[in-house]
Amino acid sequence: MTAILECRDLSYNYGDGTAALEGVDLALEAGRKVALVGPNGAGKSTLMLMFNGILEPTRGEVLFRGRPLGYDRRSLREIRRAVGMVFQNSDDQLFAPSVYQDVAFGPANLGYAAEKVKRYAGFALQYVGLSGYDRRPPHHLSGGEKKRVAIAGILAMEPEVMILDEPTSNLDPASSEEIMEMLDELNCGGKTMIISTHDVDLAYRWADDVVLMKDGRVAGRGSGPEVFSNADLVREARLKPPLVVEVYQQLKARELVDGSRPPAGVLELCRLLEQRWAGPTACTGKTGRISILAVDEGEPGDAEVQAALAEARADYTGAMGSSAKILAQEVGIAPDFTYGVIDKCILKALAGKSSLILTSGGMVQHTQKRIGEYCRDAGVEISVVRLFCIPPSSPAHPALSGHQKP
Amino acid sequence: MHDLLDDYAHANALRNVSARLKLAIGLSSILLSVSSSTPEAPLFVAASLSLATILLAKIPARIYLQLLLLPLSFAGLSAAVVAFMHGGGDVLLALPIPGYPLTIREDGGLLALLLIARTLGGMCSLFFLSLTTPMIEIFAIFKSLHMPQSVIELSMMIYRYIFVFLDQAAMIHSAQVMRLGDAGIKNRLHSFAMLCGVLFLRSWEQGERLIVAMYARCYDGKLEVMGLEGEASPRQQAAAAAYLAAALAVAGLAEGWGGQL
Repeated sequence: MTAILECRDLSYNYGDGTAALEGVDLALEAGRKVALVGPNGAGKSTLMLMFNGILEPTRGEVLFRGRPLGYDRRSLREIRRAVGMVFQNSDDQLFAPSVYQDVAFGPANLGYAAEKVKRYAGFALQYVGLSGYDRRPPHHLSGGEKKRVAIAGILAMEPEVMILDEPTSNLDPASSEEIMEMLDELNCGGKTMIISTHDVDLAYRWADDVVLMKDGRVAGRGSGPEVFSNADLVREARLKPPLVVEVYQQLKARELVDGSRPPAGVLELCRLLEQRWAGPTACTGKTGRISILAVDEGEPGDAEVQAALAEARADYTGAMGSSAKILAQEVGIAPDFTYGVIDKCILKALAGKSSLILTSGGMVQHTQKRIGEYCRDAGVEISVVRLFCIPPSSPAHPALSGHQKP
Repeated sequence: MHDLLDDYAHANALRNVSARLKLAIGLSSILLSVSSSTPEAPLFVAASLSLATILLAKIPARIYLQLLLLPLSFAGLSAAVVAFMHGGGDVLLALPIPGYPLTIREDGGLLALLLIARTLGGMCSLFFLSLTTPMIEIFAIFKSLHMPQSVIELSMMIYRYIFVFLDQAAMIHSAQVMRLGDAGIKNRLHSFAMLCGVLFLRSWEQGERLIVAMYARCYDGKLEVMGLEGEASPRQQAAAAAYLAAALAVAGLAEGWGGQL
């Protein structure tokens, strides 16, 4: 694996000589979801500001794709296009008087032609589900909408890496989950995502790599279960273990579950419990089916979605991504799951219920892969059906055709 | 939290009418009101634009009247002074104060009436514009009029951050009131001074963060201005022209009567 961003012996002192970072060595791989966790003042934000050259290190260097960052004007433009940063406070980031102007700011300053600026900004706004908000002023938006606009402003510059400082702070739980899900979707599209957070449950659930920072240094690094199962490290860093880890440790101490390390989430925890208490046969009863409908293929409308619901014989529906949520709203169905959709549908399938997942075409493969992996690991079978829309121009055909994935 | 003109500008029934047309109506009405030497034309402008604002743009009448009250009270005060100060003509009203008789004569009375009419006409035109036209549309017009780019960019950012600081000022004020910062005139003055000081420091910091945010997105001297939206239909253009012609006719007729008298 190649490192997309790397720090070597990175140090940074503030004007008064206090050290914010002291000798940080860190290599982040391309295409991963990375969470920086740590107490206030651990140096997370400082480190993030170094990744796109806003702060220049006092000692050491930052490398992007193996090349040290230059701090001249041209190199900085290059790195800031490739590594986009979303600030914690959206009001710091949204300085234009209307949504469109803000999103178009990056592309325009990269010197794109007017038509290209328009296309990129339009695409970014559509991606975050805010088409039609072009002329709204930022002070008429909710916190979640502001965050989406901030993300769109970065997205319009087509970065390879996106850095988000506390992306869920000050957002209500549903908005946070939607933002995190959008970050997942972007990651599926190949972007490397780096977030900082105090929310250990969020970091644990979302990140492939957790970097625990303390006093300007990297104190721990690894997968969520690796980092958070080290109780001493977590306590010293003024954090608390994620709920799943705590429950697992208590169950383990009472010998109610087996396993060598904490489960990755509720789904895994359920599996551990089932394996311990009913043997692997518990899950081989009749599992429910999961159907997937891509909302951006063949322009499904009301009829198609109703047909899909009937075809899937779904007890539950989940909408994943902003385009799916918009469609669900348009056709007047209230999805049961709007975040953590795949895991929740697997849990329902294990309980014998069928579900329909509405999502964008780009996420279909990811969904199938995730369910496939789970089935392989857990030794269960869940049938996954991909539904396709037939364009309404051919009324002789049924609105949908399904095909079974083995 | 706030009842802001800006909120109405973004949500009123005339929101999507061509901003150029609204600006043309508003500006020419203001010019006509303040340059008229008789009260009839400004009063005509005030009446017709108030009706347009309330009936066509569907701005609640109560809010509209509250807005008008503030400039009118100022105008009323100055008009009263003017009425007593100017002499000439028949005595209209005399206040029998022993030793210092106050009288309103015809000239003074007419001047006071003109002052109120002009204020009313001007304010109604301004409210018509600001209650129906969002600022971004006005920036777009500035651009099409080839105003200097730096002036437009600066105004756009000032506009954007007014609301950020308004929220902050409201929060600071609440924090002060919660701890009785408004008890007594001395406390109130002290609190207000502190609010101003804190707000100044915050705006300074915000400015620094703004620069970082701009450079983080490759700032190279470009802040796009929105294009103009919505062309005025021939019917709308005709209606606006008819209104302005009527206002001019009223002004002309009034001048004529004035001349004959």
